[in-house]
Amino acid sequence: MRTAISRLSLVEPRSLRHALRLMRDEAGLVPLAGCTDLYVALNDGALRATRFLNLWPIEELRVIEPRGPVLFIGALATYSSLIRSADVRRRLPMLVSAAREVGGRQVQNRGTLGGNIANGSPAGDTLPVLAAAEATVVLGSATGTRRVPFTAFYKGYRTTVMRADELILGIEVPEVEGRQWFCKVGTRGAQAISKVVMAAVRAPHPRVALGSVAPTVVRVPKTEAALTGGASVDEARTILMSEIAPIDDIRSTAAYRRHVAGVLLGRFWEQTAAGRPVY
Amino acid sequence: MASRDIHGIDAPWGAFRHVGRDLRKVDGLAKATGAAMYTDDIALPGMLHAKTLRSPHAHARIRSIDAADALRLAGVHAVITGEHLPVTYGILPWTQDETALAVGKVRFVGEPVAAVAAVDEDAANAALKLIRVEYEPLHAYLDPFESLARHDPPIHEGRKDGNVSKHVHLAFGDVDAALAEADVVIEDDYVFHGTTHAAIEPHCAVGHYGADGVLTVWSSTQITHYVHRALARVLDVPAHRIRVIQPCLGGAFGGKSDPFSLEFVVAKLAMTTGRPVKMLYTREEVFYTHRGRHPMHMRYRTGATREGRLVGVDATIVIDGGAYSSYGLVTTYYAGQLLTGPYAFATYRFDSTRAFTNKPPCGPKRGHGSVQPRFAFEVQLDELASTLEIDPIEIRRRNLLGEHTTTVNGQRITSNGFARCLDVVEHASNWKTRHGQLPFGRGMGVAGSMYISGTNYPIYPNPMPQAAVQLKIDRSGLVTVFTGANDIGQGSNSIAQYLVAEELGLALDQVRVVSADTDLCPVDLGAYSSRETFMVGNALIDACRKVRPLVVRAVADHWQVDPSRVRFVDGVVVELDDPPLQPAGVAVGGEARPGASPPDAAAGRRWMTAAEAFQLAEARFDTLGATGAYNTPTLGGDYRGGTIGAAPAYSFTAHVVEVSVDVETGRITCEKVWIAHDCGRALNPMLVAGQMEGSAYMGVAEALMEAHGVNRFGLHAGPSLLDYRIPTTVDTPELAALIVESLDPEGPYGAKEAGEGPLHPAIPAISNAVFDAVGIRLKHLPFTPGKVLAALRARKDAAAGTPAPALAGGAR
Repeated sequence: MRTAISRLSLVEPRSLRHALRLMRDEAGLVPLAGCTDLYVALNDGALRATRFLNLWPIEELRVIEPRGPVLFIGALATYSSLIRSADVRRRLPMLVSAAREVGGRQVQNRGTLGGNIANGSPAGDTLPVLAAAEATVVLGSATGTRRVPFTAFYKGYRTTVMRADELILGIEVPEVEGRQWFCKVGTRGAQAISKVVMAAVRAPHPRVALGSVAPTVVRVPKTEAALTGGASVDEARTILMSEIAPIDDIRSTAAYRRHVAGVLLGRFWEQTAAGRPVY
Repeated sequence: MASRDIHGIDAPWGAFRHVGRDLRKVDGLAKATGAAMYTDDIALPGMLHAKTLRSPHAHARIRSIDAADALRLAGVHAVITGEHLPVTYGILPWTQDETALAVGKVRFVGEPVAAVAAVDEDAANAALKLIRVEYEPLHAYLDPFESLARHDPPIHEGRKDGNVSKHVHLAFGDVDAALAEADVVIEDDYVFHGTTHAAIEPHCAVGHYGADGVLTVWSSTQITHYVHRALARVLDVPAHRIRVIQPCLGGAFGGKSDPFSLEFVVAKLAMTTGRPVKMLYTREEVFYTHRGRHPMHMRYRTGATREGRLVGVDATIVIDGGAYSSYGLVTTYYAGQLLTGPYAFATYRFDSTRAFTNKPPCGPKRGHGSVQPRFAFEVQLDELASTLEIDPIEIRRRNLLGEHTTTVNGQRITSNGFARCLDVVEHASNWKTRHGQLPFGRGMGVAGSMYISGTNYPIYPNPMPQAAVQLKIDRSGLVTVFTGANDIGQGSNSIAQYLVAEELGLALDQVRVVSADTDLCPVDLGAYSSRETFMVGNALIDACRKVRPLVVRAVADHWQVDPSRVRFVDGVVVELDDPPLQPAGVAVGGEARPGASPPDAAAGRRWMTAAEAFQLAEARFDTLGATGAYNTPTLGGDYRGGTIGAAPAYSFTAHVVEVSVDVETGRITCEKVWIAHDCGRALNPMLVAGQMEGSAYMGVAEALMEAHGVNRFGLHAGPSLLDYRIPTTVDTPELAALIVESLDPEGPYGAKEAGEGPLHPAIPAISNAVFDAVGIRLKHLPFTPGKVLAALRARKDAAAGTPAPALAGGAR
């Protein structure tokens, strides 16, 4: 039990605008929402920050709604709210599948999509979905709003293009043509971090995104090009296995990850073939 | 040796009223509602919090420790190091090689080096960072074979056998001749990887040094008595001034059956500071504390006749012990001694060597020392069956040991329900129509096992009782049971309640149990070796049968009838017909309560409440109480080590497991486990089934998920419950607990153990089921997808005539 009078302070913004001003005015202020990653890092001593900005009460970041041609998902949308949202179920069912794979119920009730993006783990369960859906990240700051394609959002392992004064406001997902597919291979059936996670879309130009096989979530353009060009799935699998660069770690080995990525590609192709029931 | 029938297996008052029913645990509601008090729930006025500084090196000499800055930090009350607690201890009197805090050198990453008591955990943690320790790193031994090959510098100085922790070589009959004459001999290597307990409650201890000079330690331990002894030794405080209490405990599985650093540290810090001190390990620290299942490298040679009869078994086992002895001496014996059932071996030899390594120390985990050899042997037996084209259940039947016999290594076997266990799993799983006949990728496997129900050898040799209890009979109608037994979730307090209520004819709520408090309770040796129900149960019946005649006599004299006409049922004393019409069963309907009028009263017979009966007896005989005890008979083979593994009774288990194997991803899914377990008599079938399911669950987890390992620096590979994987509900197979009752003559009402035996067969049965599913033999645990794929590839390559490639870098 930690009983000390805390050295940590929590700043409560009055509004989103206030929150953005606070981010502008104070370097080192760390935004928090569901805290499912942050508490672990704090307890572990991996996070040195002492001042935090509580985004959790900002209702306007919790919105999930169609906005013209895109589906807007606020950064504070929890996994539970993604699972329950009729709009997400209809337009982006692979995100529902991904949200179901995150942690247990408690984590699904607290963890947010924005947090998953900001945390930037290469094993983040929702990230391949956003990459395959060609989503756009909406970033806000005191000076305005900008949009970054999700596939250009990460610069490397847990590093992003975000400026220090910016917050993730949400995600815009365009209409996804074609059949969506998602699969996570974890170390157990639930409450696990993935060995390999894949989201894919079966369309004239198929899109395939993978997690846990590179420093960031990745799309595999060569593999996609091969599939677009009519290559057999076996050929595409060979290309995929050379296109990704997994590592050995406690959860799996590079060789196994490469093998399983190939297996997943085959299953994606088989299970989304014309005539198969939509899942 | 003949078996003893010490208390009989029959109901004391005709028909069982409590035994054999699915009764609630005494602490069930408190645990479910969160009211139960665990060690960490204890908060005393002025209590300090302590934290441990741990070694970053796997093997190093400590040059110096400087705690001056830490002591100056605000809120810090004391810092202690090895020099403050230099006395060695260890669970076994022959291998006392541990100290509470490292003295002179460290032997694994995570070994306690210093401890701080401060006003809160944050201050204590901050102080840890200010302690400067100068280390001189030494060569780290991470491989037991290297430890055995060289020992310069040795892990423990001053030992004449280098890094050998223990070596045992025992032979029974001429194994070489038997194997030379065998029609078929299977020889192979098997590897058990090492797992830990992963109890949900981390270790916790609170120390209090009172103004009366009494040191009290509350600890999440399963061995209060041994902690009591170790505290007296290390702290140099007379044992009668030390009180050890085990509060409600959140799981142990063998992981809390050593004295641990924190118990000495909170005691010392409480004595140093004059304040109560608490220490709660983090999950990470629990992984360093370990004492989990030993990794074993096992070579087995098994010979049989063409008909599948075993003629000889020869085992060579190298055991990775980690940095300290713990129970290692016993483990080294158990690795061989406990294999000699449920099958009869004509000849047997084993050679097992436990090596020290610079890793967290291994110890006992559910099925201590015998789960690993059982895995190897049962897989080898399956291979023998497929080689001889005999059904795997049939080959086991052909080698049955039988009951009331002696094993090749001289262990006395009393009751033995193994043949029925095999019948039950065969029938329940539809084995005959499904084994070998399921589609590719799906398969079934069988395995059997035997385990001790208590051990006849106390950890420190002494002639006193191994289990003892005390009863206090109160005028209110309450009987309080005092027992040193450690209820670690297995339900020993509940069993005590059921047995006393049964013996004295009381309602359940008339019996309360006080346990695991060394000031109040007679000594019991603790919750290990599956001994509590068996030994404490016998001690309880002993105590009840001393006091019961007094109460019966007082009532009989009061009514002026023969004592045989006095019956206690659910807290009511009734007068029986003369002569009793149904001596074997009193016709009492419903739940008669004290004060209520039982049906017998309507028949005009006399009755009174138990409280009234106790008052009559107290008036006549003075204050009522009784003690009871149990000691095993002299058991074991007549050779050095022959008593290790000797138990007053043995339990038997058979599993059938059904698996599916995804040949593309290599993933094994355990679909269902049929568990048949001979527990003698199921005193509470629900608790027995719970132990059987929990055991099988743990076995499946060890086979498919759990792995306790270190990296090349000796640092734990993943000291968290995220990276150390145990199955979630969605990973847990369907479990069918099928109880088999053999009614052991020596057990309380015929009961034997149920908490450890049912784990053993799960692991080999999975390997055997995978063979049935896809034709590969998995001999190296854990059965990860990478290993499955490699084995499938090797099989394909072998079929194609090309040499199999080596398994690439520890595939997970």
